Order: sequence, then C-alpha cells, then structure tokens
Amino acid sequence: MAREDADRAALRDVNWRMILRLEASISVGIGLLMLIIWALAGARHFWPAWVWFGLAIPLALQVAIRRGLRAPKGHRLLAAHGAITCVLASILLAIWLLAGARHAFWPVWPILGLGVVLVGHAWVRHALPTAREQALADRVEVLTRTRRGALDVQAAELQRIERDLHDGAQARLVSVAMNLGLAEELLSKDPQSLTELLAEARSSTLTALADLRTVMRGIQPPVLADRGLEGAIRALALDLAVPVTVGGEIPGRVPVPVESAAYFTVCECLANVVKHSGALQARVDVGYRGGVLSVAVRDDGVGGASLAAGSGLRGVARRLEVFDGTMTLTSPAGGPTVVTMEVPCELSSPRT
Amino acid sequence: MRAVIAEDLALLRDGLARILRAHDIDVAAAVGDPVALAAALEEQQPDIAIVDVRMPPTFTNEGLVAAIEARARRPGMPVLVLSQYVEQLYARELLLSGAEGVGYLLKDRVSEVGMFVDTVRKVAGGGTVLDPDVVTGMLTHHGRNQAMARLTRREREVLGFMAEGRSNAAIAGKMVVTAKAVDKHINSIFMKLDLPLDADDNRRVLAVLRYLQTD
Repeated sequence: MAREDADRAALRDVNWRMILRLEASISVGIGLLMLIIWALAGARHFWPAWVWFGLAIPLALQVAIRRGLRAPKGHRLLAAHGAITCVLASILLAIWLLAGARHAFWPVWPILGLGVVLVGHAWVRHALPTAREQALADRVEVLTRTRRGALDVQAAELQRIERDLHDGAQARLVSVAMNLGLAEELLSKDPQSLTELLAEARSSTLTALADLRTVMRGIQPPVLADRGLEGAIRALALDLAVPVTVGGEIPGRVPVPVESAAYFTVCECLANVVKHSGALQARVDVGYRGGVLSVAVRDDGVGGASLAAGSGLRGVARRLEVFDGTMTLTSPAGGPTVVTMEVPCELSSPRT
Repeated sequence: MRAVIAEDLALLRDGLARILRAHDIDVAAAVGDPVALAAALEEQQPDIAIVDVRMPPTFTNEGLVAAIEARARRPGMPVLVLSQYVEQLYARELLLSGAEGVGYLLKDRVSEVGMFVDTVRKVAGGGTVLDPDVVTGMLTHHGRNQAMARLTRREREVLGFMAEGRSNAAIAGKMVVTAKAVDKHINSIFMKLDLPLDADDNRRVLAVLRYLQTD
C-alpha cells in the first residue's frame, strides 16, 4: 500500500518534470524569437525583457508551489505560501527594475504587506493546534478518564470478590476443617456425635460450593464462555421472574472483554427491570452492524429511571466506556424505559 | 446395570466410579473426553451414560452436546448430565432430545450418595430428573402459560417435586401431607394439563415437559 503510493508519487514527479522542461524549452524558444525580432526591427528600446519576464512568471510560480508542497506534511501550506510570497516579491522587484529603477523604491510597501501576511500565517500555525492535534488531545483526555474508571471498577470488583470468598466459601471450609478435626477426636469416644459432625461438615462443603458458584457467576458466568453473549442473555432471561423476550442475532463471537462488559450491563438492566420497573414484560435485542455491537433493553414498566439514581447502571456504563462504548437511557415517567448500548468491536468466527 | 462415565477430572471420575461400584452398578468405561465417550457408548451399549458438561477440547459445554448427540444416534439412550453449575437453557435443550431417560444435576448432589444412586437408576429406567436449582428457577416462570396458570400453588409445588424425580411417597414426606393427598394433587395436575390417561410414568414425564415449556 505505502509502496504503491510512493511509486505513484515518483511517477507524478517524473511527469511534472517533463512538462516543466517542455514549458521551459517553449519559453526559451519564444524568448529567442522575440530577441531576433527585436534585432531585425532595429534593436532600439529593449522590449523583449518584458516578454521574458512574462514567460518567467508561470515557470517560477510552478517551481515555487511544487517546492512548497514537497515540505513535510503539516507544513506544506505554509511552505507553499512562503514560496509564492517570494515569487510575488521577485515579480514586484523585476517590474521596478525593468521600468528602469527610476521611481522611488515603491515595491517595499507591497513586499512588506506580503511579509506581514506570511508571518501572520506562520504565527497562527504555530499558536493554534491543528484539528488533528486537537482530536488527539481530546482522545488522550477520554482515554485517561476511561482508564481510571476501568481501574476503579476493576479494583472494586476484586475487593468484592475477595470479600465474598472470605465471608463465604473460605469461612465454610474453615468450619469443615474444624468439624473434621473434632470428628477425628470423637472417632473412638462418641460415634453418635461423630455422625452429626460429619453430616454438618458435608452440608458446609455444599454451602461452600454454592457460594463459590455465586462468586464465579459474578466473575464470568460459565454460560457466557459456553454460548457467547446472545446465548448467555437467553439463559439469563430464563432465570428472571419477569418474562423477557430475546431477539436479534450476532453473526460471530464478540471479543471476550466486550462480551463480559455487555453481558453485565444487560444483567444490571434486567435486574433493575425486575426490582424497580414494575414491568410485566421486557425485551432484549442484540445486533451487529457496521462494526458496532448494539444491545437494547426495553421494558413496559413505570419509567423514571436515571443514570444518577441507579449507580449500578453508571458502573456498567463505565465498563463500556473502556471500549469506546456508549450507553443511552430514555425513561420518561410512565415508561417505557429503554437502555441502548453500542460498542465498536470486531467479531471472530463463532466457536463450534 | 452398566454405566459409562465421561468426566475429564480424574479425581471426580474415580470418585464417581467408586460410588457406582459400591452400589453394584458396573462401570463399563470411564473416559475423559467426548470422542472417547462416543466410542465407549458404541462399544459398550451401557444402560446409562453419566456425562460432565465441561470437557476438552474447548472446556465449555461439549459434554452436553455429546449427550444430545448420543441420544440422536440412539433415541431414548439414558443420559445423566452432571455439572458444576446448572442452566435452565441447558435443561431445555437436553429435554428437546426427548424427556425420557434424562437427568440433569449439579455435581454437589453426588454427595447425597443414596439419592444420587437412586437418580442413576431412575434415569436408566427412563425417568426424568432435574436438579432442584433448575426446578426452582422454572418456578419463577409460573403464570406465563395458560395451562400452568390453572394450577394452584400446591399443585405447582407437587409438579416441581415431580420434575426433581421424586416419588409420590417422597413428595408426601417433603410437603408433610398424606400420600393420598399427593395422589389427588397429581391427578388434578394431569387433568388441568389435559394429559392423556396413559401409563402413570409416562404422564409424569409429560407433565414435567409441559411444565418446562412454560414460556
């Protein structure tokens, strides 16, 4: 690609040089012709100088603009401007000289004007960032903010997981170990209480397992890895007290981090539907078009939801921002509530 | 009775085999992946396959897929699917391959050894057994379906226990009522769900199926 561009540029250069050479030859030819005519006409007032001057102007302008445009990207306009200014100044000087340099040196004024405009241009270029630079600066700002948001969310998640494991599964396993230790001691002394202790130990391990399952669902629900976003949303819909219809299709596999963020966003939305909306039914539509994953969750509830009030929604929105995703919420009083999220991403072929 | 076990974790595979052998169930083969499972089923023609959901190569749900495929090859082939987590979605998919001789349980339930072995025998005998977690999840759906809406709260409770594969006596014990009362509930369920007067076992399966299709 880059090589093709370079080739094309080289070709343009060669073409241009040939044209310029042709133009120059014609100009020189015409110039000589004028000289001959002048000589034949008696070689009085040397008027061919004016013709030469006229012929030189287009050549000089072409060379100047060409030179200017060869400057590094971002400086081309200024360089071309500078080159044209030089040519114009030369033209003014030439006119003054050809006219016999008899009058006062009037070209100083227009040349000064041209210079001021050039300096002004240079100053504006220097002082104002280009549109591209401005875009980059804005981008850096967004990235800084979303990165901090993502790290905050991640840290809070880890803290929550640690707490859940500590208070749940870990505590249960401690109690199992204690029970088993006690059981060892009772083995010979008190078979009756031994049975009770063993039953208690078993029931504790089962509760620990249930705790672990809950924690794991919070990290990454297994069905998401199994079935992808669409399948996981369908599975989720089956577990809710409010009937949820799932529509649409994603023609491939969403990248894992986006999949996870989008899934938990839908979880949060549907949890809000069940808890707050009073909806009789809800609908989730997924889709992928033009490189953008879109998910819409709507319900027929009472409405009046807001991002400020539901900090849960705000948290998941921050997770989406990391992927340049957006979330919009419309929820007029009286409903319906619609949450739409869009995340640009590339799909991979579905896993079979 | 002969069983084939498919479970990729050796620790659990051996544990399952030990429990089954201790209860006079012959373990014809114990394998660790879906390909070996298909081969073992072909070769051994067991009375039941006990299959873990998550297996190589992708460690997602190939066990479930393998179970459904096995039932497509040999309709009615009894399969008990075990998993560290249960999904209603998977229960439905499994039941779409036919409701008889299907079981879907959390691995945790294996620790109640007596009940687990009962479940194995029930599924091998053509019964339907779903994990209580799946059934509880499905209970949240009641009222979505007109036929279901006709059931009373008690009847739905009985139907839930039936889906878990419990016998009438066990249901009576759970609900602290007489076996006769349970009988009455069950008959009423069959009537409300318009189930044909057929062999009792078959109607139980049909009732459970109807129950699962409530959305």
